[in-house]
This record gives sequence, C-alpha cells and structure tokens, in this order.
Amino acid sequence: MTRDRRHNVRPLDLRLVSRLLGRMAFWSLVAAIVAISLFPFYYALISSLRPGSSLYEIRYVPSEVSFANYVSVFREQPFALSILNSLAVATGVVTVSLLLGVTAAYALGRIDFKGRRLLLLSILGVSMFPQVAVLAGIFELVRGIGAYNTIFGVALSHLILTLPFTVWVLTTFMRDLPKEVEEAAFVDGARPWIVVTRIFLPLLWPALVTTGLLAFITAWNEFLFALTLVLSPERRTVPVAIALISGASTQELPWGNIMAASVTVTVPLILLVLVFQRKIVSGLTAGAVKG
Amino acid sequence: MARVELRRVRKTFGGLEVVSGVDVTVPDRSFTVLVGPSGCGKSTLLRLIAGLEDISGGDLLIDGIRVNDDPPARRGVAMVFQSYALYPHMTVFDNMAFGLRLTKAGKETVEQRVRVAARVLEIDGLLDRLPKQLSGGQRQRVAIGRAITREPKVFLFDEPLSNLDAALRVQMRIEIAKLHKELSATMVYVTHDQVEAMTLAEEIVVLNAGRVEQAGPPLELYERPRNIFVAAFIGSPKMNLLPARIALAVPGGVAVELEDGARIAVPVAADRLSVGDKVTLGIRPEHLAPATEGPFLGSVAHIERLGAETYVHLALSQRRSLVLRRDGSLDIGEGASLRLSPVWEGAYHLFAADGSALPAAPSAMHPSRSPRKETTQ
Repeated sequence: MTRDRRHNVRPLDLRLVSRLLGRMAFWSLVAAIVAISLFPFYYALISSLRPGSSLYEIRYVPSEVSFANYVSVFREQPFALSILNSLAVATGVVTVSLLLGVTAAYALGRIDFKGRRLLLLSILGVSMFPQVAVLAGIFELVRGIGAYNTIFGVALSHLILTLPFTVWVLTTFMRDLPKEVEEAAFVDGARPWIVVTRIFLPLLWPALVTTGLLAFITAWNEFLFALTLVLSPERRTVPVAIALISGASTQELPWGNIMAASVTVTVPLILLVLVFQRKIVSGLTAGAVKG
Repeated sequence: MARVELRRVRKTFGGLEVVSGVDVTVPDRSFTVLVGPSGCGKSTLLRLIAGLEDISGGDLLIDGIRVNDDPPARRGVAMVFQSYALYPHMTVFDNMAFGLRLTKAGKETVEQRVRVAARVLEIDGLLDRLPKQLSGGQRQRVAIGRAITREPKVFLFDEPLSNLDAALRVQMRIEIAKLHKELSATMVYVTHDQVEAMTLAEEIVVLNAGRVEQAGPPLELYERPRNIFVAAFIGSPKMNLLPARIALAVPGGVAVELEDGARIAVPVAADRLSVGDKVTLGIRPEHLAPATEGPFLGSVAHIERLGAETYVHLALSQRRSLVLRRDGSLDIGEGASLRLSPVWEGAYHLFAADGSALPAAPSAMHPSRSPRKETTQ
C-alpha cells in the first residue's frame, strides 16, 4: 500500500468510526432507559418467586423458584375479588369516559357555540387540583348519593381523573377530522348521533384505544380514592388490597406476598398494552379528502 | 324531479353579508351553473341550497315548498364535494350505500341501486376497494355515485373537477354532461372555471360579491352581457375593454372617441347618452381581424401560439393593449406593427359609466354577418 492511498482511506475511516461511536452511544442510552425502567419490575418478579427468608439476601438471579407467595396471596385475603373489583371499576371507567368523552368531543370539537373555549378550559382546570384537595368533596358527594363503600362510588370518583384528558385528547382528534366528510354524511341524511357512531368513531379508533388504555391504567392504579371510599375488604380494589396486605404480626411485612400481588396485577396491564399497541393504526383518514 | 327557487336569499356571517338578496330560479331538469370569481358567494349559495348553512333571510323553495328549515336529506338534495369527502373507512360499495341504508331501504334495493350507479360510472370493478386505493378521478366517480344512489331531486356539485388534472377534467366534464342527460335530473353546479360553465350549463348564473350579475343561457351571456363584469368574466381570453368618450349621438347609434383620437361608430340605442359621456368600448378578441384599414393600430407585444389558435397581444399605447384571437397560426413577429378592425360593427359592446351595457339600436338587431371595414377618420 502506498502512502497516498493510506491518506485517501483515512477520512473515510474517521467517518466510519464516528458513526460507529454515535450508534453505540444511542444504543447504550436505549439500554440504560430499558434497564432503569424494567429493573424494579424484574426485582419484584424474582422477589416474588423466592421463598420465605431467602428474600432478605440481595441477589439478582433467582436461585430457586417457588410459587408459595402467589398461593398465599390468594389464600390469606380475598385477592381474587380485589382483581375482579378492579376489573369492574376500570372497565366501567373506560366505558363511561369514552362515551362521555366522544360525545363531549363532538360538541366541543365540531360545533361552534358561545363559551366553548371557557368550557374546554374549565374541563382542563378540573385536572389541575391534586387528588387530596378534592378528596373531602368527593367523599361527601359519594356518601351523599349513597355510594359509599361500593365499587360504583370508586368508579365515579375515578371519572374526575380520566374525563378531563379523555375529553381533551378526543376533542383535539375530533377537530382535525375533515369537515367535508361530516357534511357529506349530513347530506346523506345522517343525524349527529349517526355521524359520531358510524363516521367518526371508526376514524377515531387510534385515539380511542390510546385514551381508553390510559384511562384503564389510571383507574387500575388509583389508590387514594379507592382507599377512602371503601371500607369492606371484599370491595377493595387491587392497589388498596396490596397496600393493606399484612403479615402474621404487625412487625412483619410479608414482602413475598406483596411482590407476588404486584406482579399479578401488572401482567394484565402489560398484556393490554401489547394487544392494543398493534391496533393503533395511524393514517386511517388517508383517502377521505384529496391529499 | 324538481324546480329550485331562491327568493331574496341572504346569508350573513357575523355581520358580513356574503349573499345579498339573490333571486334565482333553477328550472326542473335543468343544468344550472353558478359561476363567479372566488369569494363571490357561489359556494355559499350552494351550501344554502344543500342545507349545510342556515339561510339568514329570504325563502328557498324546492318544488314550490319552502324548505328553509329542513335538514339536507328531507330536501331531497345530494351533494358532490370538491374534496370528494368519501368515508375513508368504508369500501366504495359502503360509501355509495351509506345514505340509502339510512333511509331504511331494503337490502336488495341498496344492492341493486349501487350496482346500477356503479355501472353507469364504470366503477363496478372497484366496489370492494377503500378510497385510499383509488385515483383522484375514481374517487370523484365514487362521490358522484354516492349522490346518484339516493335518487335525489336535486344534485349539487361544488367545484367537483377542480382537484383533477387537466385531461381528466375534460373527460369528467363530458361524463357529467352525459349523466345529466341520462338521469334527467335537476343539477346545480358551482365552478369558477368559465369553460366548464359554458360547456355544461343550460343556464348560467354569474355571481359577483354576493349578487347575481346576470342569469341566462350561455350564449346569451356571451353575446349580450348585461354589464362590464359579465362581459369580462365570460369568454376566454377576456373581452378587450377600452375607455372612450361619446363624440356623437344620433338615434341610430353613437360615435365614440378613443384615447388616441380614433373614432368608432357603434350601433347602440343612444337615448341615455349625450356627447362627452365617459363610456367603455368592448370587443372580443375573436371579433377582431388584421386589416389594412381599421381603428386599432399598435405594435405586437407578445404572441401566444397554441397550435389551433393564436393570441396576439397588441400594445396600442403605453397603457392600453388589445388581444386578438385567430384560428390557426399567424405569420407575424413581435414588435411588428399591426392594424386591427372588427369583423363586423355589431361586434362592439358599449358600456355606460355605471358599467351597464347599452342595448343595440333597433336597426342593428339583425346585422349582416359580413365583415365590414370601416374608417372613422
């Protein structure tokens, strides 16, 4: 190889190296993010699989696998009932949020009326208050309508958390749908309800899935309202049930059980996200109007 | 089918009057085109007929029944949008069947009407496709098909061809005309393209700033525009308009003097005119011809050769110019001096200072079509 040649090769080499370094930096960042976000769950998972006292040694790989904690979680308290309660609450909250969200979004996004902005801002304002601030009011409200100590009351209280963002996100999406499509449906003889259900809903699928999923997670994880509004153990939702898992004595915290319960209730969420992630298809509106 | 009548229809958007007191009658089974520059209110007028906008004042009658407050479907109208406005998540079949299904029509009726409409529009092979899998022209056909299946009393078209490319536009124009004959339906068509208006319309309504400037058959608008606006709007290239002054007024006509002093005799009724009045002289580019004698002398500023015809832009002075339109090509170069004369003296239009056209003098009602050279020196 001549000197000249080596000189020609060099700049190319530099570019390659810098590109390689950039790539490595990118992937190590990704790896760091994944590790940081997944490690707690991983640790919970291996802790839940460890029996009895071996819990208190710090280890990152499971030495022996035992499902004893999972069995005792369901045996020592009505944990299955808690899961059912949570499912009922979350499903109810999602259904009502989407129904009210879509209808409100139609009015707020498609119809011009006086005070629309003010209404939108006050809806946003609702979500500004911390939960603790509205807790007393919610408690009075729920007790006033006789829903104290029922999962209905819990679901109702969760709506205050899910409705503002459901309405906002859906309004944004609704506003961006082409006007002519709606007008074409009107000329075709569709009343607003038909327009919303037959034209807009199918076009809003991605937004509905996303907001519905977020509402589900919010309702599934909510703790403060669920703790305050329910007294009986068999009506508790999952987060409350887990927090109130107690050991044989007040001195003992049954970490194994708590970890097992946490893992049990996390799995449905992960599955849900994985299933619906595929359904989030964008570009559904392509072909409606020229573009 | 149906007759659509607008009586003193007005539309205001928050204090701004977009349509001001429009009287239009769309005869039964006619093809009426609303035409005008952008912002003239033609689309708004169509949307008022469709029921997509509320009428601020006046009456809208379809078949003699006031329908101001009826929703679109009850009016028996169907609309084809400029942007097609197909339902993106439905197949072509479902798009066309949507309105029909809402009327609770039986499954067989739906099936049969959609098939018939698809065959008429030659989209029967596309019924299972989604709108995004179609080309622009195909989408427009689906949009028209969606209107047809409901068998409406009135078809409304809102600039349906303006999103298509030039070749497709000509083809669809012919197909829409054919469709009108086949369906013998009342059609109201909005466009800003005066070629579309002239070729499709049985009746043209020229709108400007929310008012009707003139309504009538295409050739009537071309031959006897009621004012300068219509004269300039109908016809391509535009009618030549030159400022002039009345130099002589006698019962059989007037003589006008152009800015450069050339005098031209125009056979219009002179009752409203007196010597010295400011007027505008109009002549269409196709009514001019090169001649050895004639009132217009200028130098050729620019030539547009289209093959079948040639446009010659002639500069008369610093500020005034004329356009000449000739069939075929013309052997002339830029910068050459050219004298033009009208092909017959009845080809002139004369407009008073307020823009209104002056009627032809009684003697000139049936002019001989033979070209006549004239001098006014």
